[in-house]
Amino acid sequence: MSLNQEPIDVARSPFSEAMEMFRKNHAAVAGLVILILIVLGGIFGPFIYQGDPFEMVWAPFSPPGEEGYLLGTDYLGRDLVSMILHGARVSIAIGVSAAFLTVFIGITVGALAGYYKGWVEEILMRVTEFFQVLPTLLFSMVIVALFGASLPMITLAIGLVSWPAVARITRSEFLRIRELEYVMAARASGVRNWKLIFKVILPNALPPIIVQAALMVGSAILFEAGLSFLGLTDPNVVSWGQIIGSNRQYILDASYTVTIPGVAIFITVLAISLVGDGLNDALNPKLRQR
Amino acid sequence: MREETNNSAELLNVENLTVRFPVKRGGFLSRKAYLYAVDDISFSIKRGETLAIVGESGSGKTTAALAVARLVNAFKGKVQLGEHNFLELQDEALRKARAKVQFIFQDPYASLNPRLRAEAIVREPLDSLGIASPQEQQVRVNELFKSVGLRPEQQRLFPHQFSGGQRQRIGIARALSTQPELIICDEPVSALDVAVQAQILNLLRRLQSEMGLTYLFISHDLGVVQHMCDSVAVMYMGKIVEHASRKDLFNNPLHPYTSALLSAVPSVDKKRRAETKRILIPGDPPDPIDPPKGCRFANRCPVARSICKEKEPPLRALSSTHKVACHLVDEKAKSPLL
Repeated sequence: MSLNQEPIDVARSPFSEAMEMFRKNHAAVAGLVILILIVLGGIFGPFIYQGDPFEMVWAPFSPPGEEGYLLGTDYLGRDLVSMILHGARVSIAIGVSAAFLTVFIGITVGALAGYYKGWVEEILMRVTEFFQVLPTLLFSMVIVALFGASLPMITLAIGLVSWPAVARITRSEFLRIRELEYVMAARASGVRNWKLIFKVILPNALPPIIVQAALMVGSAILFEAGLSFLGLTDPNVVSWGQIIGSNRQYILDASYTVTIPGVAIFITVLAISLVGDGLNDALNPKLRQR
Repeated sequence: MREETNNSAELLNVENLTVRFPVKRGGFLSRKAYLYAVDDISFSIKRGETLAIVGESGSGKTTAALAVARLVNAFKGKVQLGEHNFLELQDEALRKARAKVQFIFQDPYASLNPRLRAEAIVREPLDSLGIASPQEQQVRVNELFKSVGLRPEQQRLFPHQFSGGQRQRIGIARALSTQPELIICDEPVSALDVAVQAQILNLLRRLQSEMGLTYLFISHDLGVVQHMCDSVAVMYMGKIVEHASRKDLFNNPLHPYTSALLSAVPSVDKKRRAETKRILIPGDPPDPIDPPKGCRFANRCPVARSICKEKEPPLRALSSTHKVACHLVDEKAKSPLL
């Protein structure tokens, strides 16, 4: 049989193979399903389950299930179902947008540092280290306290304290990939610098960054919960952390007011972690061979 | 200036090429040390011919090749290709000139971008150098796939769907795409198994005769070199120790290091095996950061004399096709080992 007679496969990109790998990971798929449900709940829930989350609908501290209020009411007699659904919007929105901001800053800094090396790397990595050694919660509290507790500002605060991790991962991937032969081949073919960075190296550096970004959504949600628990949040918007924060005095009398939003955060972050882990396994070719 | 007629046939003329890398040694107050990976080498290749650079790992042969292609920066020297000194070109001029020098890499598993389809890999140089319209590029890619022995349906596949030999064919097609004058082959078959090696070598030879290509061929395999080349330069620790036509080098190796290399080539021919005496060279190469002042091979050379440890031997021409850097070779061009 000559070389030219072997059957050929359909073209399968590394990406489609990774997605197939992801589909076979039950925990990751379960996490993804839960996550999709939470996102759908956040988007459509408030339209289906109508009602203002700030409105007093019934007597305070009415336990879950009583008088038709599925999750009960909080210390001001507000409906917890409505609050949780509205809170999902805020948590997911902040988690996703903070993760985007983090990835944007991190990739830019890490890619330039890893590609150009030399003094560019020195300066950028010293800046990265500066942000990395700042106490994150304190720094973001200062930003929110100084510039006001609006959602964009909270997102910015979270993004500003979490990008160093992405920058370091990006840089290390760039340092590794820039020496590979296919990058040399691209240079020998006259590919321009910006194209080498964004079209040749970055797509190959993405897998660990994607994983980090997915996990970043979870940690941003936790971060937002922490800030709003401390009262550093927009008082006109419901978020899960804020529900916990405002009800914390009554934790002994009506523990469900704190537990329910806590469980919501827990499930969301767990689902995101499962997805992140699944992505890690699917995108890491070394693990794939196991 | 000299031998104007002779020079016109030369495609590539490398003079005094030196590549050094800074090395960190000791504390931060210690003086800056450099490793001279390629130390003042000169060679030239005639249009349509193949020059092999051979040597052991760490001899600087790959670094020399990368420096010629401007993939690592040379410290000094001249790489004359046509009317350009390749080392003096900057930015846009360099980018454009890259079309003339293409590279075939050693490891076919690392030299193809895993995220691009085979056709996109072959088209990349045309794209980035703005050669031809998209339709013409496609025609060209089709031709290239055919001439390296790949089927058109395989253009849509990704690198991991190919075998090592097929990947190397893609690498060759990519190198050919810009119609370069010089192709640098950096151990193009050492990562392949023997049967595939022969296929790839024959492909390279066929392409050379069809397209009149000029090769700078880096290898540590003298069997491959004998099959492929018109002339050979032997490198040891960043220096060229012997530079000769294939015939001269294989029939009359003059430098003791070359003799040792040749005697190490395994042979299935019983008669030849009985004739050649294995020349063993003991020890390791000296520290490349702090090389000895005399001949760099002196500490391992079976016939070294006192002059070898004191004075560095220059590369001398014994005939128009044979140069050697050894004190012990006289004008009669007789190997000091005999």
